[in-house]
Amino acid sequence: MSNTQYWNRETSTIKQYSTPVTQQANIICISDPNDKANQKLYEGNLEGAKILAIGSQMSDFDIDLLRASNANVIFASHPNSREPLKMLLQEIPSIQWIHCRSAGIDSIASEELASSSVLMTNAKGAFSSTLAEYTMMAIAYFAKDLPRLLKQKDDRNWEKYCIEEIRGKTLGVVGYGDIGRAAAKLAKAYGMTVKALRRNPQHSQDDPICDEVYSNDKTSLHRIMSESDYILCAAPLTPESKGMFDEEAFASAKKNCVFINVGRGPIVEESALIGALKNGHLKGAALDVVAIEPLPKDSELWDLPNVLISPHNMDMTETFTQEATEFFIEENLPRFVRNELLLNPVDKVAGY
Amino acid sequence: MINRLLICIYFLVLSSLTASLSFESLSLHFTRRAFSTVSSSTLIGLTTSTTSTSTLSSSNGEEQYWNRETSSRKQYQDSKPISQMANIICLSDPHDDANQRLYHGNLPKGAQVIAVGSEIDHFDIGKLKEANANVIFVSHPKSREPLAKLIQQVPSIQWIHSRSAGIDFITSNELSNCGAMVTNAKGCFSSTLAEYTMMAISFFAKDLPRLLKQKHSKTWEKYCVEEIRGKTLGIIGYGDIGRAAGTLAKAYGMKVIALRRNPQNSQGDPICDEVYSNDKTSLCRLVSKSDYILCAAPLTPETRGLIDEKVFSSAKKNSVFINVGRGPIVEEDALIEALKNGPLKGAALDVVATEPLPKDSELWTLENVLLSPHNMDMTETFMHEATEFFIEENLPRFLRNDPLLNLVDKVAGY
Repeated sequence: MSNTQYWNRETSTIKQYSTPVTQQANIICISDPNDKANQKLYEGNLEGAKILAIGSQMSDFDIDLLRASNANVIFASHPNSREPLKMLLQEIPSIQWIHCRSAGIDSIASEELASSSVLMTNAKGAFSSTLAEYTMMAIAYFAKDLPRLLKQKDDRNWEKYCIEEIRGKTLGVVGYGDIGRAAAKLAKAYGMTVKALRRNPQHSQDDPICDEVYSNDKTSLHRIMSESDYILCAAPLTPESKGMFDEEAFASAKKNCVFINVGRGPIVEESALIGALKNGHLKGAALDVVAIEPLPKDSELWDLPNVLISPHNMDMTETFTQEATEFFIEENLPRFVRNELLLNPVDKVAGY
Repeated sequence: MINRLLICIYFLVLSSLTASLSFESLSLHFTRRAFSTVSSSTLIGLTTSTTSTSTLSSSNGEEQYWNRETSSRKQYQDSKPISQMANIICLSDPHDDANQRLYHGNLPKGAQVIAVGSEIDHFDIGKLKEANANVIFVSHPKSREPLAKLIQQVPSIQWIHSRSAGIDFITSNELSNCGAMVTNAKGCFSSTLAEYTMMAISFFAKDLPRLLKQKHSKTWEKYCVEEIRGKTLGIIGYGDIGRAAGTLAKAYGMKVIALRRNPQNSQGDPICDEVYSNDKTSLCRLVSKSDYILCAAPLTPETRGLIDEKVFSSAKKNSVFINVGRGPIVEEDALIEALKNGPLKGAALDVVATEPLPKDSELWTLENVLLSPHNMDMTETFMHEATEFFIEENLPRFLRNDPLLNLVDKVAGY
């Protein structure tokens, strides 16, 4: 897949369309009709496209009407899209393309989806830079011992202590996609060494941002854990990545390693993580994602002092979902109606 | 006779060259698009005469200052013979771990430490004169008085090196008026302070206080975070620290604007989008455009109390103020006022007017303040490295009569 097939909010240029429309887009939105971020989509001033239905449950959709109207595009933004999507795929053979408003497609993945022939695209590249900013903040949180600063302030205690440099430390990025690369880029600006682990290491040959790249196997995972001062999990949740950070992985961690997760909670075996945080294998963790969201009140993660928790909001700017919808409207929809190659194709089998 | 004439002509030419260099720097036109914001009336800061070292630095400035991240270490082994001895007085704590190499380790040939002490009574002036003491290494925080006295009583002193970057702790009339060269640790501590700056920015952009509060109450409540990308960082005091912070800020996609005494030195600077001269109008203008304001200036008579009520009231609404320079540059009451009643969203202070911060200071209680005990550049090895800089970079240069790195302008105070 060439670079032009993927969108990056910071570097991609907006395309101008002068060629004529060659096919109509008849769109079903599996979305909340009150979702403000989608207003521009719902208003419907779309070139060569019209919205047929907006709903989030199977009962919201009149299948016969949708079939008769030749529905061919599904825009999925509702968190509970999995079931309606399955049903629509089965009942409406004219569906050609599904666009997922978010980057992660794990919430809508299914066997039916994986085995269907529809094109699928997502919001890859739309949220990466804020997550890179969060990553550096998480690193600094532990390097400068922010918890200690805040405690000392509480106690009105002016006590000097040594802080750690970020420069010269190693960041291990597991899942070296758009988010991983954005974080690596910042890490390099800080003077960190960057190592990455990805399914296709050959794609990172000659990558100026990455000093070493490993393949996705257990040995390599343990190796990157043992070499990194900070580990960033920026992988998607797939059958392959589920539970990859287990007890063995954490036991391989370098002393005083800090674990940061901006991928998906279930990639981590949470009890193993908690164990590693308690027994000192890990110095700390910064988690924007957890296995069950919202995090249940009885989870030990709330009580561990060396854990920074955020409610899966570290990419949530005021405009980010709006921008994600705009990406659909301004980038992929114009391409679809002109029968051009869509950006951000998803490998439905791989799951990302 | 001819020789003397030639020498006179040589000096005449030299001094006129220097003079023309000064004039040239005063009349430089700012051709970068951003300089259109700097009107000729704001060139006031340039009339303060810079010493010959500063004018020289405009032609080969890179070599005259040390930067820990980018300077290369010079090799001295026997490549050039030494031409003088270095007889060093240390105004230091004899138990200071970071200086052990200086006190007991291998020094370059020709250098020796002849005394270590922190008060004038610790020194036998007669012995110092006898030993031809010519270098003072200063690291003790209370060095101002003993240094002034040593300068007066030991006329053979040629060079004073400050282990820290700030020299505000040792300035005095005696220091300003003496003929000795002064060097410091400029460029040694910059990158950690740049890291701290971005952390401080993130602290407010991602609302870290809210995250911590929510964790405490086990509340899972999503909220919007701010992007750092696209925001503006305004840097007051665009020296080594300011530039290191600007470099990181640029990597984040921030816009960087800066204020310095010599804006012409930032011509063609790829890191800085706009540069302002050091006058009140420009300062107020800079803060009015900044989402984050970083004070990285040295403390000098000119900068003392520089950031006052007028400046804070010009600040952009919800801006954040970060100080890694010196506490007294800020009028602390005005800062507290701006934090309580706006326009500041918050402040991150690694330095304060009185250190340690007195227990009754309101800064302890303000929720929107991130306080650190002047330790955000304090790594385990930084002081050792600062002493090493003296031993490995400037000492070998002094012994060979080569130009020293990091010459300080004693009058300007930095």
